[in-house]
Amino acid sequence: MTGRSWSPSTIAALIAAAILLTAGVLMAIYQERLYSGQQVKSVREQAEILAASATAAILFGDHSAAQEYVDALRTNPELLGVAVYGANGRLMAGFARGTQLPERLATPQVDPGPGYIDIAVPAGSKGTRAGMVLLRAVTEPAERRFIRYAGLILLVTMGALVIAVLSLAQAQLSRRHQQLASVNARLHDEMEERRKTEDALRQSHKMEAIGQLSGGIAHDFNNLIMIVKGNLRLLRRKLGEDHVPAATYITSADEALDRAAYLTQRILAFSRRQPLTPQRINLSALAEGLSELLRHSVGEKVEISLRLNSAWPILCDINQMENVILNLAINARDAMPRGGRLVIETSDVSLTRPPPELESQNFLPGDYASLTVIDTGVGMSEDVRRRAVDPFFTTKPQGKGTGLGLSMTFGFVRQSGGYLMLESAPGKGTAVTILMPRNQEEAE
Amino acid sequence: MRLRLPMLALSGLIFAVNARADVSLEYAVKAAYIPKFIPFITWPDAAFAAPNAPVTICVLGADPFGGKLEQTAGELKSGDRAIVVRYLPAPDASVSCQVIFMGKGDETIAEGALDAVKGKPVVTVTDSGLKAHGMISFVVAANHVRFDIDEAAAAQGGVAISSKLLGLARAVKPRGQP
Repeated sequence: MTGRSWSPSTIAALIAAAILLTAGVLMAIYQERLYSGQQVKSVREQAEILAASATAAILFGDHSAAQEYVDALRTNPELLGVAVYGANGRLMAGFARGTQLPERLATPQVDPGPGYIDIAVPAGSKGTRAGMVLLRAVTEPAERRFIRYAGLILLVTMGALVIAVLSLAQAQLSRRHQQLASVNARLHDEMEERRKTEDALRQSHKMEAIGQLSGGIAHDFNNLIMIVKGNLRLLRRKLGEDHVPAATYITSADEALDRAAYLTQRILAFSRRQPLTPQRINLSALAEGLSELLRHSVGEKVEISLRLNSAWPILCDINQMENVILNLAINARDAMPRGGRLVIETSDVSLTRPPPELESQNFLPGDYASLTVIDTGVGMSEDVRRRAVDPFFTTKPQGKGTGLGLSMTFGFVRQSGGYLMLESAPGKGTAVTILMPRNQEEAE
Repeated sequence: MRLRLPMLALSGLIFAVNARADVSLEYAVKAAYIPKFIPFITWPDAAFAAPNAPVTICVLGADPFGGKLEQTAGELKSGDRAIVVRYLPAPDASVSCQVIFMGKGDETIAEGALDAVKGKPVVTVTDSGLKAHGMISFVVAANHVRFDIDEAAAAQGGVAISSKLLGLARAVKPRGQP
C-alpha cells in the first residue's frame, strides 16, 4: 500500500461524512421550510383574531376602536405593521414601524416582500364583508437564518471531520502495522540465517576437532602398525617358509594389518595429515585422463558426460585428486541404482565473496578452478547433507562403505587449500563441487 | 385577543352629528347602523319561517329615514338571509319581524309594542329621546350617534348579541341583572 492510496475504510468514512453533511443540510432546509410555514400560519392566526375582534369597529366605521384593537398588537416585535381597511378598501387605522403600509386594500393576500411578509385577511360577520386586516411580519434575513443553523452545520461538519481524521489515522496505523510486520519478518529471516551460519560454524569446528583427534590417534596407530608389521616380517623370516601353519597365520595377520594401515591412511587424509606431493596440474586434463577408468567404474547403466572448461592450473597431489574424483563418481553411481546421468564439470571462477555454503569457513576470495560431480540420483535430505562429511557416517548398508570417503575428500581438499560444497535435495540428485585455488606461479 | 375596554366610546365616528342638527344626517347614520347590527345577532331558528327566510326590519309608525333604510339594508346580508324592510303603522302580530324599530312619537305605542314582543326573539331598537328602551337604544351624545345594549332583555327573548357588537356599545346592561 502506498502512502497516497485511499483504503476502503477511508473511502467509506468519507462517504459517511458526506451523507452526514447532506442529511444535515437537508434537515436545515426542512426546518427552514417548516419554520416559514409555521410563521405564516401564526401571523395568519393573529390576523384572523384581529379581524374577528375588529369586525364591528370596521363595519360601524369606528376608527378609534379599530385603532385600539390595532394598538394592542404593538407589543409584538415581529410585526412591522398592522392596518385595518374599511369596506371601501380605505385605510382606517394602523401602525407601521419603518415601513410604508398600502393606503388601499380590498383583497385577501399573502405577499412576501423584502424582509417581511404581508398577510391580509377579510374581516366580517355572517357573510357580511366589513373590510380587511393586514399584518406585516418580519421575516428573518438569510444571515440570521444561517446563524440559526450554523450551530447544526458546524456540529455535523465537525462530526464528518472527526470521522475523516479517524479513518485517515486508521489507514496510517494499518500502514505502520504492515511496515512493522515486514520488518519483523526480515528480522526472523536474519535470525534464521544466523542460526544456520552458527550451525555450519559448529559443524566446521566439530570437523576440525574430530580431525585433530583422529589424526593424532591414526598417526600413532600407524607407527604401531608399522612396528607390528616389521616384527611379523622378522618372524616370518625366522620361521622360514616351511612352517606352513604359522605362515598362514602370519599372512592373515599381515593382511589385517594392511587393512588397518589403509584405514589409518584414510583417517590421516581426513585429518589433513597425510603426506602429499603437490604438483601443478589442470583439473580438466586430470578428469579427461580419468574418463576411461570412470566409465568402467560406474558401469553401463550410468551415462557419463564431461564438460571441461577449466584452464587454470592448480597445485595438488595428483594421485589423491584422482582418488577423490573416482570416489565421488562411485558415490554418484551408488546413488543411481537404476542408472542415470553423471556429469563432471570443470570451470574457472573468480570469487570476491564466499558462496553461501562457505560463509562460515575462512574463505579467501580469489581465482578458483572448480570441479563438480553431478548425478541424477536419489539425493540427500538436509539432515544427511549436513552430516555427509562426518567421519564414519554412511547411508550405505553395513560392510559396504567405511563412511570415510567424503571425510577423506574433505580433509584432502582442505589440506590442499581448497573447499568442498554439497548441494542436494531428496529426489533431485546431488552436486559435489571442489574449489581449488588457482596456482599463480608462472608456467615453466 | 379580546378587548375588554369598558364602554368603548365612538369618539372617532365620521358620522358626527354637526351643530346645525341636520336631522336627515342623524337618521342617515341610524339607517346605516340598523342593518349592520344584524350580522352580530343570532336568532333562534324558530324565529324564522324558513332556513333562508329574510331578516325583516319592521319600522313602527312614521318612517324617519326617508327611504334610506331600504338602501342600506339592501347592501347587506346575514349569512344566507337577505335583509328586508317593512313599514307598520301599528303593531301587527301577523307580520313576522326579527327587528322592530320604534321611532320618536307616541311613547305608549312604543311601550305597548315592547310589551307585546317581550320574551320573544325580536330585537327591539328604540330611537333616541324615547323613555322606553329596547334591546338596542340609540343615544346622541356629544354630537355623536351611539347605542346602548340591554343584553339581559335580549337573552330573555332568546337572542344572542355578539360580543364584538357589545364592544362598540356606549353602555351594556349585562345578562343576569334585573
